[in-house]
Amino acid sequence: MSDITNGIVQAIDLIITLDPEVMQIAVLSLYISLSATIIAALIAIPAGALIHFNDFSGKRAVIILIQTLYSVPTVVVGLVLYLLISKSGPLGFIGLLFTPQGMILGQTVLIIPIMIGLVISALRGIDRGISDTLVSLGATQFQMIIEIVREARFAILSAVVLGFGRAIAEVGVAMMIGGNIRDHTRVLTTAITLETGMGNFALSIALGIILLVIALIVVVILNLITSALSSDMQQIAGGGPHG
Amino acid sequence: MKKNVYIGITATLIAVLFVSALIAGCTSTPSKPAAVTTTAPAAATESAQSTLVIATTTSLYDTGLLDYLQPMFEKQYNVQLKITSQGTGKAIELAKNGDADVLLVHSPTQELAFMKDGYGLNRRSFASNSFLIVGPESDPAGIKDMTPEAAVTTLLVKGTNKTAGIAFISRGDNSGTHSAEKTVWKNAGYNYTAQVQKSGVWYVEAGKGMGETLQMASEKNAYVLTDEGTYLAYKKDLKLTPLVSKGASLLNIYSVMTVYNDKQPVEKIQMANNFINFLISKDTQAEIGKFGVEKYGKALFIPMTVEVPTAKEGWVGDYSTPATAVAPATATAPATAATTA
Amino acid sequence: MIRIEKLTRAFGAKEALRDVTLEIRRGEIFTLIGPSGSGKSTLIRLIDLLDSPSSGKIFFDGADTAGPEKDRLAIRRRMSMVFQKPAVLNTTVAENVAFGLKFRGVPAKEAEEKVNFSLNLVGLADLYRRKAVTLSGGEMQRVALARAMVTEPEVLLLDEPTANLDPVSSEMIEDLIVRINKRFGTTIVMSTHDMLQGQRLADRIGVIMDGLLAQVGSSSEILYQPKGRQIARFVGIDAITGGQVIENTGGHALIRVGETCFEALTDIPGGKWVSLCIRPEDVTLIPSDSVSEKTSMRNRIVGRIKKIVPSGPFVRVTVDCGFPLIALITRRSCTDLGLSPGSLVIAGVKATAIHVLQEDGDRNAAG
Repeated sequence: MSDITNGIVQAIDLIITLDPEVMQIAVLSLYISLSATIIAALIAIPAGALIHFNDFSGKRAVIILIQTLYSVPTVVVGLVLYLLISKSGPLGFIGLLFTPQGMILGQTVLIIPIMIGLVISALRGIDRGISDTLVSLGATQFQMIIEIVREARFAILSAVVLGFGRAIAEVGVAMMIGGNIRDHTRVLTTAITLETGMGNFALSIALGIILLVIALIVVVILNLITSALSSDMQQIAGGGPHG
Repeated sequence: MKKNVYIGITATLIAVLFVSALIAGCTSTPSKPAAVTTTAPAAATESAQSTLVIATTTSLYDTGLLDYLQPMFEKQYNVQLKITSQGTGKAIELAKNGDADVLLVHSPTQELAFMKDGYGLNRRSFASNSFLIVGPESDPAGIKDMTPEAAVTTLLVKGTNKTAGIAFISRGDNSGTHSAEKTVWKNAGYNYTAQVQKSGVWYVEAGKGMGETLQMASEKNAYVLTDEGTYLAYKKDLKLTPLVSKGASLLNIYSVMTVYNDKQPVEKIQMANNFINFLISKDTQAEIGKFGVEKYGKALFIPMTVEVPTAKEGWVGDYSTPATAVAPATATAPATAATTA
Repeated sequence: MIRIEKLTRAFGAKEALRDVTLEIRRGEIFTLIGPSGSGKSTLIRLIDLLDSPSSGKIFFDGADTAGPEKDRLAIRRRMSMVFQKPAVLNTTVAENVAFGLKFRGVPAKEAEEKVNFSLNLVGLADLYRRKAVTLSGGEMQRVALARAMVTEPEVLLLDEPTANLDPVSSEMIEDLIVRINKRFGTTIVMSTHDMLQGQRLADRIGVIMDGLLAQVGSSSEILYQPKGRQIARFVGIDAITGGQVIENTGGHALIRVGETCFEALTDIPGGKWVSLCIRPEDVTLIPSDSVSEKTSMRNRIVGRIKKIVPSGPFVRVTVDCGFPLIALITRRSCTDLGLSPGSLVIAGVKATAIHVLQEDGDRNAAG
């Protein structure tokens, strides 16, 4: 019990004093997970749209495969990726092992399936009448898809937020690919694992709280951006801010 | 409408700030060592600064010894150390795949196999300490101050007899500590897999890290074999006390070796050798001998300069000859273990 | 404007539309009526090129629409469509209306003017900035209409635009449809299952039954001279079956149904089996005990009232004359005449009010 209360106190202390080591770890966590989220979103949203708006044989199988990959353990992603980017692996020459870039790659791979799957669900949630309406209003296929994606923006935001959550909370890829190297690839989750291993439970709790605070900030900002997108749309419709 | 514009602008501003903070954050990230350590004026530019990847085991890393030594070495050689701590098996795999430049573990049998297979050069032992058998204060099996062999024999007999309150928790993960435990069983005359592993419910394989295994033992009032560093780190949260700490079987020898493969650049091998020589240098040995006193009131490691433990032939590596080899002497000869000095 | 030739659309084994041939003229209001599931929506979607036929062709302004998607888009952009269920996107009313312009790359300034104009047209200018999803069903449908009209289409397609609306909103939409047609000369194709709405709005009506275009004509043609019993039933006539033409002298026929003889105007020759379509409102009732008075009614049939069902200000009286004959009279006259179930009445039907349908051939053979 005292570890939890000590953890909370310590978290507040670390945040207020901007402890340089903790801040560096937190910023690195944010940088890696946010980069992975952005890259994954840039891939997953078009990919989800591509799958949703095209009828092809094996579509069901593809969706089932994607949904199955939701369950892939982070350690397995880390391990497979490690074997690929190890110096003795086929992609070893790129030198991604033990780098933040490698971790970004790993987390991107990790969260893409869940993002694609949820983007497809988001698009499915849009009434068929909407797409018919858009086509009847003279939309090209591309214009229609853009508008449907925009219409589904809140559900797509959930997909992105969930992807970010999975990325920043995962430890398998960060440990296998990043290696938890101090000042270099140590992120909040691997630091928590390390501190727990060293018996510093309160500090682990504190780092966990900091992770949640970061998640809170990111989620709030993502929500603000989504709302801003909506108001931008209104401005366009109104012919400008003075319309 | 006005309100929406306002929110939109605010959000955009926040987003921009956020992104710039990120960019600033990530560019400043690698420069951290330079900012913390007082950089020598002649320090090479970041990109030119070479790095050395050290693969080690969690139980050693978790003591904090390497973090303590890291800045000294980095300053001396203008190199960036990247220390990754993994399970013993994973650390050795990293070294075998050429993903690490230095291997630093405490599992003599696995080390010797590693050397024999030609993956390493210049194996040197730099410190030792003793594994402990810890257990509940009441010591229901009555093993206190026994030899390790007698202690485990007592535990096995009482455990298989279903004597109340006797349980033993093993790491069960092929780690260096687990290997040490197996050695004790072997020295006590048991076949581990046949006579110990499946001898009954009293023997539990946790499959977890040392800290978690200790906690589990504490919750279950069980006996457990542990390294000293982790035990001291967890001590305040445990209801376990050291019962057996002396005996050749409990010897815990820490060794370091240069990773070798035909793709490994000579400069890396030389830098790895530098690290090994740094560890066995007189000054570093002195630092190792002091490490832990401040935090735990006692040193966690016994440097080779203080005491060279007696162990099975080959287990204690050379500890005084500077590491110089940059390639295996011959294809067949593994690094010979120096047992005398 | 739009020529449809032998159009068939099958979904799997089911043919939703079968061999439809139809011409829609420039500037007219053409109404497709038919029961739910008869294929109206399928036809409208095909006309808007949202769907492709299984066979057959659609020509828009003389051009075959079965071209590449690029050409189909160009044709589609000369039309607009309003759906039964108004689908608005989760944004402002103004942006909803602006979509068609946005897709066509109309500059913002011009778009704004057009959106304003269009919203004014449907009387919703003050809802410009409202979130469209917060509107009522009627308002949404007016937004949909404004959205359809903002691109100044040559053809406006409406698929049951009032089916989900309350009477007041329906009337508003109907008014708008007529006004749009008058003011802009927009060709309008509308589907409805409400015959009266079709009658109110349409220049011409096409009746779709079971995927077939059963009859095309003016509203009075459909109402008074349905081409078949099914259509008759749909426009509110329960045809009297089992009649036989006794004799026909120059289009003036004597038709026997059971014990009763009708005089009617038809070219069907003697001996043929027929059904008689009599609109309920063309049947008059008088109590049988009232002294016979002079009347122009050629057909006077005695029967007993079976049931009286109120229908707004009217009542539907079913009279058993050996066959059921339905009369629609005002509630007031029902009271005045003292009609009640069981009372004997004399039903009067003018010869000109009877529309005679020839029955299938095999019945003839049987007779």
